[in-house]
Amino acid sequence: MFFFQCALAAEAKPLISALSLRKDTNPCPYDTYFAEDSSCVLAISGIGSLTGASSATYLLTRFGFRSESDFFINFGSCAGKNPGLYLINKITDSTTGRTFYPDMLYDLSSCGLPASSENALVTVDKIVSSLEDPASLYDMEASGIYQAASHFLSPHRILFLKYVSDSGVKDVKAITREYLTECAQKQIPSVLSVMEKLKDACDDDSAFDEELFLSTALALRASETMRHELAQLFRFAKAEDLPIEEILDSLHEEGLIPAASKREGKVVIDELKKRLI
Amino acid sequence: MSSKNDLFNYPFSHIYVEHAVADHPLTKTILKRFSKSVVIPIEHYKDVFNRSRQNFGEQKKSQSLILARRSGPSVYKGAPVCQDFGYDHFYYASSIMNCIFDCEYCFLKGMYGSGNIVVFVDLEKAFAEVEELLSKHPVYLCVSYDTDLIALESLTGFASRWAAFALAHENLTIEIRTKSFRKDIYDTITPCERVIFAYTLSPDEIIQKHEKKTATLSERLSAASYAMEKGFPVRLCFDPLIYCRNWKDAYSSMLFEVKDRIDTGRLKDISVGSFRIPSDYMKKLRKDFPGSSICQFPYENRGGVFQYPKNLQNEMEKTLVTMLQSLVSKEKIYMTDFEEKDEGDT
Repeated sequence: MFFFQCALAAEAKPLISALSLRKDTNPCPYDTYFAEDSSCVLAISGIGSLTGASSATYLLTRFGFRSESDFFINFGSCAGKNPGLYLINKITDSTTGRTFYPDMLYDLSSCGLPASSENALVTVDKIVSSLEDPASLYDMEASGIYQAASHFLSPHRILFLKYVSDSGVKDVKAITREYLTECAQKQIPSVLSVMEKLKDACDDDSAFDEELFLSTALALRASETMRHELAQLFRFAKAEDLPIEEILDSLHEEGLIPAASKREGKVVIDELKKRLI
Repeated sequence: MSSKNDLFNYPFSHIYVEHAVADHPLTKTILKRFSKSVVIPIEHYKDVFNRSRQNFGEQKKSQSLILARRSGPSVYKGAPVCQDFGYDHFYYASSIMNCIFDCEYCFLKGMYGSGNIVVFVDLEKAFAEVEELLSKHPVYLCVSYDTDLIALESLTGFASRWAAFALAHENLTIEIRTKSFRKDIYDTITPCERVIFAYTLSPDEIIQKHEKKTATLSERLSAASYAMEKGFPVRLCFDPLIYCRNWKDAYSSMLFEVKDRIDTGRLKDISVGSFRIPSDYMKKLRKDFPGSSICQFPYENRGGVFQYPKNLQNEMEKTLVTMLQSLVSKEKIYMTDFEEKDEGDT
């Protein structure tokens, strides 16, 4: 699942349209949009690091993140010297001086994001009127978003895709909604391409048969400790590609399952272990 | 449509460099070699290496390199789970953290939060610490525990520098442990009785399945044999012994190949120990590698160390030692006896 976060509706509009997202009509602290097939969800946070952090936490908790397979993407505008879409590899919080590093594991060059598109970004608390460091990009949310999202996800699953809308402005009104939407629109093919590429990293094929596990634990009258032990055997069987279902069937046929007591259940777990190794 | 193979950046596509070592000669050499990599300046290596919730396994698919200076100690007392080969003053040095190889069972995956490699470019600091110890007593030092120095030799030159350092300090014995195929180092450094090259060996099927990116058994034996020809003391480490369903056949075939390829009479010694890992490391491994059969094996937790069930462990170790006794004398075989050692210590 992809979790998107944009600061402004004007930045999110082309993405909402391209992904055919529907507005969540339930009461939400942030305007929220979702895909019918639950493949992605998007929230509009408003401007600022704190609200960015808050909306990231809201999205990830409300929509049940899965740390092994989900991605969080912050898509939005920033100030910088040269126009284009950038992948952020270093975020500095100008207020605290702290730095954060999203992991750069994926080769997104085929998505219009070659290594040369990587850049450092500084999160500031006011709109910049000029670029203090012309080599850097400037935004108002990334630091807060990273700090919040990194409580849920690994640093390689948090991406910042930033497009340059200006090189610093004295009057915020100089940047219109229409202009921001127009800039965002130009980057949509790259964003969709990134999503397509990262779908390969969304699989989690290590999960075992939860239903079989629960019914077995119940039939063995397993305590919490026994459940842990049994789950470990299920994980081992899955990793080694061993026919645990067949072994459990034979234990059924031999009358060992269901167990009459917790003590008997423990004996069966030991027997299962023996047959697996 | 992309495949998982082209999803990841190439190894060392990103190099993080501490400001403090930006001008160090080794930093410059490494950056020159990886001129196409993205260089990201950092204040302290821990800002990157110690981030929370890093995924070791995924990072291994696209390892980043971190160049840093050692802010803490570089030399540590050897751990009880490690073989001391009878030396009284057993230490290990950590000049590089992590490895380019990808062994499924590696304790580094449990010890470190990151799969990236940290090279402490100021090796001279480690040398100074060892000299301080040498002023008090002889030292037995394992320099390739937290990494594989031979595999990274072309990047750092550390193995050669450690060898030269040992040669110059007569109370120092070092062990350089490896799973690499490289032999060229033996043409460039001076043989010394106190510089031991230790080859960790496993059956090929274990290597192929669980020791990704490492040299094959045949390549390791070839390198070990070459080292002995050149006059270096060589140790073979059957440690860790890894269980597989046909372990007896697998290890028997391996020893057949060892006998065939190595002049076992010239070996310095041999170590044997079955897989074992501190329980807190294993908890992390199990969480991070749910699809790994080695990590998910139903081990017994004995004294805070995850190990094979006692019967299986004894059988594996005894069987291997019996087989090995046909190759070398009993005195040359060192068994890992850390459980007894622990009890003795307490």
